[in-house]
Amino acid sequence: MVSTLTMNERHIALVISSFVAVLGLVLAASGRHDLLEPHGFLILLAGLAGVFVILHGYFDPEPGPERLSSYFDEPIKVGIVLAMIWALIAMFVGDWVAWLLAYPDFRFDAAWSSFGRLRPIHTTGIIFGFGGNALIATSFHVMQRTSRARLPDQLTPWFVLAGYNLFCVLAVTGYLMGITQSKEYAEPEWYADFWLVIVWVAYFVLYLRTLARRREPHIYVSNWYYLAFILVVAMLHIVNNLALPISIGSAKSYTIFAGVQDAMVQWWYGHNAVAFFLTAGFLGMLYYYLPKRAGRPIYSYRMSIIGFWGITFFYVWVGSHHLHYTALPQWVQTLGMTFSVMLLVPSWIAAANALLTLNGAWHKVRDDATLRFMMVAAVFYGLATFEGSFLAIRPVNSLSHYTDWTIAHVHAGTLGWNSMIIFGAIYYLVPQLWKRERMYSPALVEVHFWLAVAGTFVYVFAMWNSGITQGLMWRTYNDSGMLAYSFVDSLVAMHPYYIARAFGGLLFFIGTAVGAYNIWKTMQPIPAAERTQADLPVLGELSRPILQAGE
Amino acid sequence: MTGLEHETLVAIAKSWGLFYLIALSIGVLAYTFWPGNRKRFEHAKNSIMNDESGPWE
Amino acid sequence: MFKSHYKLERYSIGLAIAIIVVASIGGIVEIAPLFTIHQTVEEAPGMRVYTPLELAGRNIYIREGCYACHSQMIRTLRDEVERYGPYSLAVESQYDHPMLWGSKRTGPDLARVGGKYSDQWQVTHLNNPRDVVPESVMPAYPFLKETELRIDDLPEHLATLRKLGVPYTDDMVANAVSDAYGQAVPDSPQAKGVKERYGEATDVRAFDGDPGMVTEMDALVAYLQILGRLTDAAHKQEAVTGGIK
Repeated sequence: MVSTLTMNERHIALVISSFVAVLGLVLAASGRHDLLEPHGFLILLAGLAGVFVILHGYFDPEPGPERLSSYFDEPIKVGIVLAMIWALIAMFVGDWVAWLLAYPDFRFDAAWSSFGRLRPIHTTGIIFGFGGNALIATSFHVMQRTSRARLPDQLTPWFVLAGYNLFCVLAVTGYLMGITQSKEYAEPEWYADFWLVIVWVAYFVLYLRTLARRREPHIYVSNWYYLAFILVVAMLHIVNNLALPISIGSAKSYTIFAGVQDAMVQWWYGHNAVAFFLTAGFLGMLYYYLPKRAGRPIYSYRMSIIGFWGITFFYVWVGSHHLHYTALPQWVQTLGMTFSVMLLVPSWIAAANALLTLNGAWHKVRDDATLRFMMVAAVFYGLATFEGSFLAIRPVNSLSHYTDWTIAHVHAGTLGWNSMIIFGAIYYLVPQLWKRERMYSPALVEVHFWLAVAGTFVYVFAMWNSGITQGLMWRTYNDSGMLAYSFVDSLVAMHPYYIARAFGGLLFFIGTAVGAYNIWKTMQPIPAAERTQADLPVLGELSRPILQAGE
Repeated sequence: MTGLEHETLVAIAKSWGLFYLIALSIGVLAYTFWPGNRKRFEHAKNSIMNDESGPWE
Repeated sequence: MFKSHYKLERYSIGLAIAIIVVASIGGIVEIAPLFTIHQTVEEAPGMRVYTPLELAGRNIYIREGCYACHSQMIRTLRDEVERYGPYSLAVESQYDHPMLWGSKRTGPDLARVGGKYSDQWQVTHLNNPRDVVPESVMPAYPFLKETELRIDDLPEHLATLRKLGVPYTDDMVANAVSDAYGQAVPDSPQAKGVKERYGEATDVRAFDGDPGMVTEMDALVAYLQILGRLTDAAHKQEAVTGGIK
């Protein structure tokens, strides 16, 4: 890690790490007797760890000028490993809380282990830990390849990666202690939010600097999606997290928005986190890795551009569909609904573009589980966006809102689309980055694929059933015009579905664990004789046949 | 902001969005199908297929 | 060479600016009018603010992630109004930083739960929900009753909220600690000031059944018991419109 840095960069890294350590100490001191104190120490520890790592490798030889003729892939490798670690943690916690809804006492008798504190660990861990690290790692890969340019320096990518994960750790440990803003998908408190802004600016500048090093005028469309992800997430993050801490020595802050304005801001953020974190960035991934793995250029580049502006424009309007029939003014609800329905057009343009790219390569999809991950991702993307537009229609929403149908929808997206495309990209990247012929075991990639698909189906069907049952029970009247079921009646009816859902989640988690094992084994050093072309980057996929599964 | 009436803001929101949408669609379609852009799109589409040989120096 | 490089930079920055412009319009159009919404929505002149104890309880509600399973937003649908009470009005959450409307009902809506159950029921239920509702899947919170409530920083909480527009008076901010204590210890000298500052209708009692120590249970139950009762605007509205057709 340190050996990739020049001497000058090592010095800057030392300064930054020391600064972080001091910052942590200041927070710990000012937040004495508050929950801020442990987090101050955690930041101090992170800074000290940085200092230690740099000093430990301080006298390693500097990288020579020959580094400039290759891509800078070390941070990508680390990013992939981090993404997998977060996936394991967050999916484990997710499945645990799923079991808690069937068996509520299946926990430690401690404050930190309640559903309310664990659930944001699952959501943050998946969205920001797993998804975010995968986005950062793949964007580093894609920005270099499509620009045919090496990252402009060695330090910034490490800073972005480490700083981002510090944010994730602060978030997740905070929930355990009870530090939360309660804003869905934006729970971390003011100091963590502030830190993320710094990291994010560095990330954006790094991206622009890399693009500036390219030679051809046109920027490949994947980069557009990644840029939209970075920029719009920055905008959403800053506005939604505007808050006033009660004092500099307290973890607690109050958001500047109240009531109906806060609701609109939160769902403007919440839905656009889906749009620009979980969609735009991931489409960037899709538009690069799917053509690469299939060995065929994207079906229509024009469609990808139209889809891009459509998504960028439409998505920001739709957040209010989370607030149908509430105290939000009706015209805002109607706008949200209308744009949600229109959003189907660019969404399906993207899904169709991906699937049409595979036309003529279906034999590869059949034989190659990695490509199949990407294909299934595109299919689920199409399904989930259709469902999303459908659920945004007011009368449908009156039934589905507040029920498990929403959970089904979200997981069709996150399991079926986001996770599948990440796994596809990772299985493409790992052999290439670690310079291996193929994954340690193609058979285990198959096992992972089928576990993931089965888990997703069980999960989504269970939640569809429970959601619709719930929605119908809540609004059923008996012959005498009274509500037919009490709330508890509906809760009892959920029990079997909650077990099925937890089982589906378990299948998915086991699949991820199999994947992690396979990746781990692929990373292990192998005898020099078996290596492909020692230190040169692997040549493009076109120059060699796609690996056949089971070979 | 305080000078603006709620009704005015709502009216702007309701009408202006539509025009904006149409203008933007025309702009994007024009860019996408502009004959002069055809070559660079084709080039971009194919260029990613062989990018592992390392950065251009 | 320099010139072409400069042009390239301009292209990517242009792209970035275009993304920001295109992506921000929708949000501005939808959100900006909401900041003038007070010109149109119903008013609630008699609405009171949360007492320091209720505010502390609200923060415990937030800390424990209760909003993940309980909504506080009754929609304008007949079955919801019949199940939970008059539909929620925008004005009712005008002082809520943040709002807690929620997005999921693993448990029932709580917008009007205040006064629906006794303190004793709430305490038993929070201590172990399955003692009163055998089918419940809610987590048990036995530690609330044993944990002393932190009240020393409540003046800072109130002062911060006042900066954000919640009408706390100087008197309320200055007496936040004493009011928090007094509201849960009815026989104490501090109890009298609570009703003076927050109104005669304010609940002043040992919410957790034990006047000895002010616990997190006191605060949370005080908060739950005030939900939907800060103003009667929603009930008045219902009387006018006759509820949902």
